[in-house]
Amino acid sequence: MAIAAAAAAATSPTTARTTATLSPPPPISSSSSSSSYSSAQLNFGLPISTARPRTTAGLSISCTMTRDAAAAVAVTEKDDSDPALWSRPDAFGRFGKFGGKYVPETLMYALTELESAFNSIRNDPDFQAELGGILKDYVGRETPLYFAERPNGEGPHIYLKREDLNHTGAHKINNAIGQVLLAKRLGKKRIIAETGAGQHGVATATVCARFGLECIIYMGAQDMERQALNVFRMRLLGAEVRGVHSGTATLKDATSEAIRDWVTNVESTHYILGSVAGPHPYPMMVREFHKVIGEETRRQAMEKWGGKPDVLVACVGGGSNAMGLFEDFVKDKDVRLIGVEAAGFGLDSGKHAATLTKGEVGVLHGAMSYLLQDDDGQIIEPHSISAGLDYPGVGPEHSFLKDKGRAEYYCVTDEEALEAFKRVSRLEGIIPALETSHALAYLEKLCPTLPDGTKVVLNCSGRGDKDVQTAIKYLKL
Amino acid sequence: METHHFHFKTRRHNYPQVVCANHRVTTSKSNVNPSVLRLHNYGNPTADLAKERAVSADETKRPSTGKFGRFGGKFVPETLISCLEQLEVVFHQVLQDPEFQEELSTALNDYVGRETPLYYAERLTAHYKAQNMGRGPDIYIKREDLAHCGAHKMNNALAQAMIAKRMGLTAVVAATGAGQHGVATASACAKLGLSCTIFMSAADMEKQPSNVDLMTLLGAKVEPVRPTAGSFKDATSDSIRDWTEKLGEVYYLAGTAVGPHPCPTMVREFQSVIGRETRRQAAEKWGGTPDAVVACVGSGSNALGIFHEFVRDPTVRLIGVEAAGFGLNTGKHAATLAAGEVGVYHGAMSYLLQDEEGQITCPHSVGVGMEYPGVAPELSFLKETGRMEFYSASDEEAVEAYRRVARLEGILPALEASHAFAYLEKLCPTMPDGAKIIISCSGRGEKDTETVFNYPIS
Repeated sequence: MAIAAAAAAATSPTTARTTATLSPPPPISSSSSSSSYSSAQLNFGLPISTARPRTTAGLSISCTMTRDAAAAVAVTEKDDSDPALWSRPDAFGRFGKFGGKYVPETLMYALTELESAFNSIRNDPDFQAELGGILKDYVGRETPLYFAERPNGEGPHIYLKREDLNHTGAHKINNAIGQVLLAKRLGKKRIIAETGAGQHGVATATVCARFGLECIIYMGAQDMERQALNVFRMRLLGAEVRGVHSGTATLKDATSEAIRDWVTNVESTHYILGSVAGPHPYPMMVREFHKVIGEETRRQAMEKWGGKPDVLVACVGGGSNAMGLFEDFVKDKDVRLIGVEAAGFGLDSGKHAATLTKGEVGVLHGAMSYLLQDDDGQIIEPHSISAGLDYPGVGPEHSFLKDKGRAEYYCVTDEEALEAFKRVSRLEGIIPALETSHALAYLEKLCPTLPDGTKVVLNCSGRGDKDVQTAIKYLKL
Repeated sequence: METHHFHFKTRRHNYPQVVCANHRVTTSKSNVNPSVLRLHNYGNPTADLAKERAVSADETKRPSTGKFGRFGGKFVPETLISCLEQLEVVFHQVLQDPEFQEELSTALNDYVGRETPLYYAERLTAHYKAQNMGRGPDIYIKREDLAHCGAHKMNNALAQAMIAKRMGLTAVVAATGAGQHGVATASACAKLGLSCTIFMSAADMEKQPSNVDLMTLLGAKVEPVRPTAGSFKDATSDSIRDWTEKLGEVYYLAGTAVGPHPCPTMVREFQSVIGRETRRQAAEKWGGTPDAVVACVGSGSNALGIFHEFVRDPTVRLIGVEAAGFGLNTGKHAATLAAGEVGVYHGAMSYLLQDEEGQITCPHSVGVGMEYPGVAPELSFLKETGRMEFYSASDEEAVEAYRRVARLEGILPALEASHAFAYLEKLCPTMPDGAKIIISCSGRGEKDTETVFNYPIS
């Protein structure tokens, strides 16, 4: 991934790998790049000249945003056992040591502009009213908190937060809508995004159609072949789908291309990032747009049983649906937060996407976080049967919550997820997305450990219509 | 082999002569008086719902005929009559039972995701206004596409599955055309722990394979209808046959408002939640009622679901849009109300598509759910009394509408619903500025992307 910046050149070899992970510069022959920069200029093997790498006590990374390194460290020394007092994020976009803005100079201004625009709408009643109205009438919020009666009998009570009922069938649209409204406010007429299997692309194309904005989706040529119907859908919705042929012609290459586009067209264009990853302010923004999930859950829980949930469970790819559910409850120490990642073929196989379990800290896509990297600091190609969890990184806030011990992270194999997919379909008549099935699969291990009557809320982050063919093939139904 | 000869009088309001070779057809035992409009179902819509139901329950203490004017009825073999009467009794019981109503209400909210929004389609409205010098109606979309399983079918499937459970039955059988009703039924059965068999014609299975996969995943058994040709009408016949064989074990879950009484009434009753919500939402949004309500008409369940509430409001135009297929004059269409004649089919008297010999024709539409050669008897009644207007849209117009709504609103409407959207092209120029149109988006169109993809662009 070409976006990693060189600023965090590790100076102390003894610490855990905090090197910026630098993928090799893109091949010169990438004529698909519409950027006016030649790819040679985007060679991040060279340190950025404004960087002043200075080690500071306890951290082997430096922050290029201030010359006074002390200010950047102060936060971690206070007593921080109370989650309500944590700065999530702090003024520099950090969650503890995670997060940040590891991006080329050209994007710094865009990110700052985005951040101040976001802060201005946060408390703007007109914006919030417009957003609320669209979430209600267009997306179909609020989504129900559904008591999944059948898998119970004794044991904990399982409730599903039905994000699968949203327009387009997943939680993704909450963020897409928020960002597109923000882009409009910024006067941007052009929206870009990258997509792997097509879900985020379709969500982006959908909101662009709704608001009449030009939409360009970058997709790896290989993915385009495998997902021809999703490509067609995006085109039907009026988006332009640009194939990316460089590299392995998959998601990470599409992301590079999208970034290149943004760097070139920063004044007119907004980049809709689909998850709580990426440089500040994206992790915070995307979380804020999704936190309606947790807020509704709190109110619905109060209505249904007069209390709070005891345990929250969600699948974690980039981490947006999980943050959406968790956010409102992070400060409630009596609520357990559980994230479930993809173990693919198994943690020992090397073919998985269990970033928080098996990853190490590094910088990817502009943020410091856990990520799957090899001994040379190169990104490992992850694997999961579900495209949405097939991400080698994870949102920095999840890395933070894990290190603080506030949230627990487990993982589940492809096979367990497929079993859960079939089980919930047959027991509840709800076909969950394969991503969601990972969280559902974890219930098998979780429930026996919980006392009767414990309230468990699981985020049913998407519907599984898109996965039916895959599942039927693997389950041999 | 002797051919069956069904000959119907279509112009006079008499009961037709029905000659059947293989069974004795009777109407129900009650007194039949077609000139008396038995409108107990059309109570005062502003009255308390429970009161309305109490009234109609009163009036139906004896088994009713299920007539809408001269339409409807129970044209079925003897074996089914007692079954239907029992069903009717249970139906009225559950309407009165607060526990059932509460369970249903919770399920509709938490499981199905009601209430569905009434969404102001800003760009679609602007599109039509732009074509008419900035003047035109305001278009609102009733988003049944957001219901669980992606169509309005769930409202009815869930309620009836609950009835099956109450009757102590453990198996459900249903017929499906496009597969939406099959998926909804399979879902509801999975949730309630009932075993489920869905009859679907082999041709339809090919046209909507994604729905077949969904049903299989949900644990239902999908029975292809023999012979291999055929469509929803044959699937319905097969499933009724299956039901007749296994009476007492199996519940026949009607997916749409056709069939012998009480099926049309039941389906309409459970779908009428759509209209009730719409009225309240309209009042909230603009403090009034819509000027026109537009819905696609295949067999009629989504149309009745939204129309029923407004039947007694003379200022509300009720507009049904059928499938004109390749064109009304080609014979390859499914526009029953426009081109059909009155007869008896699947146990009810209604308009239907038949040839000169009274044989049921095979309908065609790009929207598979529209391909039914009959129509709900209640809609036939609304047509005859002039309460409802009906038009039709061709395959091409429907596909065009699909693309238009996708591009302008980011919503993929089911091809069935696209017929209703297609009619906006003709309707909007005739409506005054600021008039309120509510269009029922009865389902989502992800299932139809491949069809639209393969559709030849003219």
